[in-house]
Amino acid sequence: MINTMYQLDTLDSSKAFLAALLIGIAFGFFLERAGFGSSRKLTGVFYFRDMAVIKVMFTAVITAALGLTCCVVLGIVSIEGVYLMPTVYGAYIVGGLIFGVGFVMGGWCPGTAAAGVASGKIDALIFLAGAIIGSIVFNEMFSLIKPLYDSGQRGVVFIYDTLGISKGTFNVLLGIAAVVMFWGCEWIEKRKTSQSLGDNTTVLKTVSVAILSIAIVLVAVGSGLPSSRQPGTTAGIISSESQLLEAVEMAEDHIEPEELADRMLRQEPGLIVVDIRPVVEYLGYHLPNALNIQMKDLHQALIPYKNAGTIVLYSNGMTHPVQARDSLFRSGYTNAYILTDGLNGFIERCLTPVSLRDEILPKETSDKIRAWRALFLGLAAPQETPDTPDVPPSDSLLIDADWLEKQLERADTKTLDLRGQPEYNTSHIRNSLALNVENLRMNLDGAGSMLQPADMLARHFSAMGIRPGDTVVIVYGDKTQDATLVGIALERLGHTSYRILNGGFAAWKSANKALVSELPEIVSSSYPVTGTDNFSVDYRTVLEYVKSQKGIILDVRPSDYYSGSKSNEARAGHIPGAINRPYTEDLVKVNDVPQFKPVEELAKAYAQIIPAKDSMAIIHCRTGHQASQTFFVLKRLLGYSNILWYDAGWSQWAAKKELPIE
Amino acid sequence: MKNQDISKNRYMNPYLAGIGLGLTLLVSFLVLGAGLGASSGLARMAACMELCVARAHTLSGEYFGKWGQNPMQYYLVFMLVGTFIGGLCSALLANRMKLQIERGKQSTVRLRTAFALMGGILVGFASRLAQGCTSGQALSGTALLLTGSFVFLVCIFAGGYAAAYLFRRQWND
Repeated sequence: MINTMYQLDTLDSSKAFLAALLIGIAFGFFLERAGFGSSRKLTGVFYFRDMAVIKVMFTAVITAALGLTCCVVLGIVSIEGVYLMPTVYGAYIVGGLIFGVGFVMGGWCPGTAAAGVASGKIDALIFLAGAIIGSIVFNEMFSLIKPLYDSGQRGVVFIYDTLGISKGTFNVLLGIAAVVMFWGCEWIEKRKTSQSLGDNTTVLKTVSVAILSIAIVLVAVGSGLPSSRQPGTTAGIISSESQLLEAVEMAEDHIEPEELADRMLRQEPGLIVVDIRPVVEYLGYHLPNALNIQMKDLHQALIPYKNAGTIVLYSNGMTHPVQARDSLFRSGYTNAYILTDGLNGFIERCLTPVSLRDEILPKETSDKIRAWRALFLGLAAPQETPDTPDVPPSDSLLIDADWLEKQLERADTKTLDLRGQPEYNTSHIRNSLALNVENLRMNLDGAGSMLQPADMLARHFSAMGIRPGDTVVIVYGDKTQDATLVGIALERLGHTSYRILNGGFAAWKSANKALVSELPEIVSSSYPVTGTDNFSVDYRTVLEYVKSQKGIILDVRPSDYYSGSKSNEARAGHIPGAINRPYTEDLVKVNDVPQFKPVEELAKAYAQIIPAKDSMAIIHCRTGHQASQTFFVLKRLLGYSNILWYDAGWSQWAAKKELPIE
Repeated sequence: MKNQDISKNRYMNPYLAGIGLGLTLLVSFLVLGAGLGASSGLARMAACMELCVARAHTLSGEYFGKWGQNPMQYYLVFMLVGTFIGGLCSALLANRMKLQIERGKQSTVRLRTAFALMGGILVGFASRLAQGCTSGQALSGTALLLTGSFVFLVCIFAGGYAAAYLFRRQWND
């Protein structure tokens, strides 16, 4: 069995580039041999002048199709090893029609034009320039075209399934159609040019016989090997429409909320829960550890989980998951399920508190419901404290004065006031502790203003009585980035249950909430040190990113510092390839005090900058302070999973003269 | 007429060329695990050009943006370069390498050039919309027996035959 580069995920290796180059050479060679380095010959097909296009193309299609079927039947390669393009009816119909007009107008298609340029055709070069312009036009209009681009999405569909016949039968029909077409083409050309068929007939006769006999042999062999007859499936499970309907009828396609809740509670390995709702809804609430994948990306994103483990799809209701699940089933997924009644049903059936239920439940059931509520709503059961505090849902990371007021009395709430000492001493929120954020930073490896190592931070937080299970509420004065710097310090210790009072101390004051001047009583704790964090990077990592260009570097300094027109560092400018998104753009000022913009707005803005939720991005500013804010926005508010923080930032980069700048 | 016969005979028998092309495609399936492609390589070049002109704008775009900062690091770019090299080898061997703007004798350079450019724009756009061109969809996709690729192929011919009459003048002798 051959493992293809697509299967091994090595299509981006230099080996693949070399293989593609060699295959391209053979491709170009045969195109030119066939006469496709001439636009006049190519377009001949549209004027019944020269039918070579049909002859060459269909011979090639039949050769490759029968050849591949042979390889699959003989077990040389599995059809899963080949990239199968999804069918998108709307886009392909409109695309095909426009392409056809462009083809007959320009006289070329992209591949033949490359061969045309090679044989000196200037019109081919012009055509290719046009095609590049066309691609740019498409890119620029993409947001407009997107509905069409996605319209009629059906996932991977085979023509024989669409026609409702077996693959073998289709191969024979295709063979017959090709042979009939070939003889038809010869007849047309003979009439048009009154030319004798000559040598062509001998070759054509041989080819005709070969095509038909191989197709028929394959049917015979195929019927003896039923499991290999249908590509796109495994282990003899056939993804035909009737099988699909049978599975639906047997209710094999869905999973009940209670069952899912139990399996998630058990942390069953291999259970993949997929939320297919829009990002904004996902950010609002989702089942813990659910992946957020949009419908159109499902086929691509789920490849690693195909027929391994259990995939459960959910949305608010049922319609979209059903369609998605059926589409996956057609592409050979036998392990995709939908959540019965969707998220709405899940919340109603599993998360309704025991006290609100009509029926009286046995203790076993009510205990289970409490455990589910603890897991899915983050409401810890009173008797037990979870080992790893859950990250609160992003919409509650930014809290208001009312919320804080209710929490103030709780022993597990610690409020930190980041204003200056005199302001704090004058009046502050009850039980809040004064903290100067600069005390969390120090000089490390020659770079000033670095966040302290985990052990020092742990001592600092221990002295303030903060314990691992506590919710830390951060109240800033006039700088949101002060709050996020404390946040990132907590994150270094693995402490993710912190919240920020949006609007800072001013929000508390303008809500007319109570203020005191006495100091809180603190029992110091012993915050454990777990090692180092997994998001801080140094300049070496950044340099690797610059060289490999595999991730995004986000420079959040003001744009005049990014451009280099202003500078107070050793050098002016920015890291090569870095994108500028000033941290201030994530903020809005209310009564002169900055606060975070609504999450939906931020999500929209960053979707334009960072392509996917799991894209790698390194955030930096001058000293790491402003960057901590963008880190918080991306990682915590928007749920980007691979966000890294270059603390030393531009001050270090600019000072190291051996590092490249732009 | 006589001349045309000779030049035509110099091309490879179309069925044999088709078999050669089909075997190339089969090797591509077996080695790369993906079919042939040409328009993707062009689109990558387009993205690269746009990156040079407007870097941040391109990277933040939803379509080219997802290809990252170095769109040329892609196997189909290399395949397109290979296609050119292969075509060059064949053209040189057959002594068919000749600098020209191919057109009918009655047609003008201006008309042919304009049609080639406009046709190219349409094809470049349509290839992105249909996620492939004659190579990636019509040839590779149909060989994989994919429904969408057959639909695309039928529509190419429908579009081509419907519009053929409008553009016939460029080939008038």
